[in-house]
Amino acid sequence: MLISKKVEFSASHICRSPQLSDAENERIYGAASNPLGHGHNYEIEVAIEGEPDPITGMILDLKRLKEILEERVLRVYDHRLLNREVAPFDRIVPTVENIAIDIWNRLESKIEGAKLHSVRVYETDDLFAEYRGE
Amino acid sequence: MPVIHLTRRYAFPASHRLHSPHLSDAQNAETFGKCNNPHGHGHNYEVELTVGGEVEAITGRVIDLAALDALAEREFLAPFRYRDLNKEVEAFRTAVPTTENLGLEVDRRLRAEWPRSFPSGQPRLEKVRIRETERNICDVIDGNG
Repeated sequence: MLISKKVEFSASHICRSPQLSDAENERIYGAASNPLGHGHNYEIEVAIEGEPDPITGMILDLKRLKEILEERVLRVYDHRLLNREVAPFDRIVPTVENIAIDIWNRLESKIEGAKLHSVRVYETDDLFAEYRGE
Repeated sequence: MPVIHLTRRYAFPASHRLHSPHLSDAQNAETFGKCNNPHGHGHNYEVELTVGGEVEAITGRVIDLAALDALAEREFLAPFRYRDLNKEVEAFRTAVPTTENLGLEVDRRLRAEWPRSFPSGQPRLEKVRIRETERNICDVIDGNG
């Protein structure tokens, strides 16, 4: 059984790779390659897999999950320039794909008594990435 | 490399009429209800394409989004946008343009051109989702309807 929680953060990023030419960066990332950066209101949907506890009826205490999300993700990501202020984006491009993987890595070992099933990150209403730890 | 499932959403308005030449007028009216109105009607269709594959190390991308956008524009946005699907799209001269058949048609068009847009075979097209309205949604998963 799955239960999901959604939280939001706002952040800026620059989609450019130092390993690519200016022309390649512009072709691959379009307007998102602007070296001055731009921002999004990101939404994260985290799905947890497990069975409801027979006494509490809960897979995981959602208050606890919210605390974990705040501590492990929102405190790190919210109102930051991802490329400069959030590792590993000093080394890899903060695409929505890499953000989903990084959030998974920050959460996976912290979910106690249940299993992290997926992390879905909406960059806009028209684009989201989902990572299932595979 | 990690496998990501990435979803991109597109939208187009179009009109259609649900009517089968294999049914009588009475049967059509009974089967399709108000969607059988001879004058047709329209929707703001939304199409969500989900692709899956490994994230490329340098770009951090699972797909060339510009190539996906160009493919979507060419294969179903330009041909369907502001069109009468029954009269202006060849497939719907015979098949009824239900959400199901529209999903299958979008899926068929994308799969036919996929190797040309993505010659490496990566990423895979995993799902085509059509929203006819917020409450009427059809998924074509792995090309199997």
